[in-house]
Amino acid sequence: MLILAVRFYFFYDNQHQLANGQQISFETTILSQPQVVGNRQVFTANYQNQKIRITTGRFPEMNYGDFVRIIGQISNKNNRVLMYSPKIEAINNSSNILQSGLRRINIFRQKLITLFSKTLPSPSSSLLLGIIFGIKEQMPKDFSNNLKTSGVFHVIAASGMNVTLIGGFISTFFAFFLKRQIAICLSILGIMFYAVLAGLEPSIIRASIMGILVFSAQILGRQTLAINGLFLAGFTMLLVDPTLISDIGFQLSFAATLGLVLIPKIKAIGKIWVIGEGVNTTIAAQIATLPILLATFGTYSIYSILVNGLLLWTVPILMIIGGIGAILGLILMPLGQLLIYLCYPLLLYFETIVNIFGKIGGAITIESLSWQFILGYYCLLSSVLLILRKKE
Amino acid sequence: MKKAFLIGTVLIFLLGYIFIYQIITYNDKKLHVVVCDVGQGDAIFVRTPQGSDILIDGGPDDSVLNCLGKHMPFWDRTLEIMILTHPHSDHFIGLFEVLKNYKVKSFASEDLGNKTAGFNALMEEIKKQRIPTKYVFAGDRFILKDGVILKIVGPTQKFIQQTSPGGTIGESSEFASLESLLIYGKFSALLTGDSQVAELRDAISNGLGNIDLLQVPHHGSRFGLTADILEVLSPKLAAISVGKNNKYGHPTSFILEMLKSLKIKTLRTDQVGDIEIISDGLSWRVK
Repeated sequence: MLILAVRFYFFYDNQHQLANGQQISFETTILSQPQVVGNRQVFTANYQNQKIRITTGRFPEMNYGDFVRIIGQISNKNNRVLMYSPKIEAINNSSNILQSGLRRINIFRQKLITLFSKTLPSPSSSLLLGIIFGIKEQMPKDFSNNLKTSGVFHVIAASGMNVTLIGGFISTFFAFFLKRQIAICLSILGIMFYAVLAGLEPSIIRASIMGILVFSAQILGRQTLAINGLFLAGFTMLLVDPTLISDIGFQLSFAATLGLVLIPKIKAIGKIWVIGEGVNTTIAAQIATLPILLATFGTYSIYSILVNGLLLWTVPILMIIGGIGAILGLILMPLGQLLIYLCYPLLLYFETIVNIFGKIGGAITIESLSWQFILGYYCLLSSVLLILRKKE
Repeated sequence: MKKAFLIGTVLIFLLGYIFIYQIITYNDKKLHVVVCDVGQGDAIFVRTPQGSDILIDGGPDDSVLNCLGKHMPFWDRTLEIMILTHPHSDHFIGLFEVLKNYKVKSFASEDLGNKTAGFNALMEEIKKQRIPTKYVFAGDRFILKDGVILKIVGPTQKFIQQTSPGGTIGESSEFASLESLLIYGKFSALLTGDSQVAELRDAISNGLGNIDLLQVPHHGSRFGLTADILEVLSPKLAAISVGKNNKYGHPTSFILEMLKSLKIKTLRTDQVGDIEIISDGLSWRVK
């Protein structure tokens, strides 16, 4: 805690205050995939510890890993540092290892996108890309809105389940003909590669750090506690990038995982056929994240628990079949396509439910949420959890 | 293991069901013309009786993908012909998305360019994917195996030279736009893009007349039609591709009144969504 406090102090003390209208020019590597919104591309760039949200024209298309020089004017709005339509020049700098590495991963990423989107129609293809790889830039806008309103947008963010499946898959596969330690090392490398492929969002970084801890503990022969892993992950991430504390993705991912670890499951619900487990997980995650969700999005769909229950059981099946399809498809396209076809019935089911509940919409709307309420909510929640723990 | 086997079997069964269901619905040996609901913009999809797919314009965003997904079987990822009527963003941005999601076998457009980064990106992508490209003028035609003919009726080479001597088109001025006549047996449909009165007159003087379906030019703009042109064409059905509450005030009441006074049934994508017309070459109906 103390180390973090010191880090925060120095970070914000050193941060340059950018004035409204200030003209700046800097070079940077684009570290997250630009999101296409209608006629525009939006991405964040780092300038002297300050994150700038840049909005620019749809073309030329920019990619993750591009090294660029940005020249433009700062505009401050609602405590955010923005920049509209700056001049962006691509700089070719292939000697930079980070950049050439990212570029290579990006080529691989584009290959995956092409494989899926030339196999299935949209939005099925983009839904599958989102579920397996957390790749979202292909997602049609109206479908992505329906995912948000029906409360299942989180399935297209790469996170814990993806990491568990990938790590597990690689270590079991290689354990057949390699030493167990080496297989586990490979699975750690696999998780890191996957995190970069998925676009290095906070949720996947958190999940990867936790996953890597679990797997390394296996090499060392130690037991890990999920809660320790979670705090270590949060600690490391904040140490590297203190601005994450105000990042919604980070807050949600951290709070939801904490909820999954600490909030006890209701046994009666867990027994319901197929949907029980999904409902239980969703309840725990939602109890832990509700104030953040309300404060950020202002709406909450009371059907979201039901929707999650109806849909979550399909996610691991889609991940496994689609994931194997992706690997095979890169080697021999038609073979992979056959497996991706096999996902299609489940994807249709998924889309139908999302579109139905997306149209019904969120039932609770809240104008604004005060910090006192949020604090009070978490105080009450922790006291309830402590009482429950004591009883056990 | 037993569970995986069960899930696999169920999925294979469902997939088989979807295959058979879609073969029956999409391969009905009829011509389908769909004016896609893409908001303020144009995208028209044609599926011929033998299952060749033609797309004319792509609309302003990725919503054209929804339309294609709905009107093609899921395994058909190929467009035989892709046409751009003229290089304006509300007609071509969607084509960019189409190129990412479909295999396009040929591309045709009018011989006009546009200096925006978007249009350059589109042409570069077409070149990169090595799609055969052809510039077409009035008189050119695509004849498909199943008897469907797509005939370009405007603009003529002369018209383009007069209206756009520089060989480019601006973002705000609309002059030349490809007009094509789709013919299958007795059924015919005129697709007009953003063309204006002068170009339609030109086409009529070259023999165009009497059609079944008219795609109203330029989203129902004031300058797309006149009463005498409508009388010559005498369409039975008019389709307007237009976005809800668009900033241009399309479709104009001028055009709507004109269609009404001539008792031409009119459908608008902002009111009914995708407009689909099905023909067996003898008669036709709206789905």
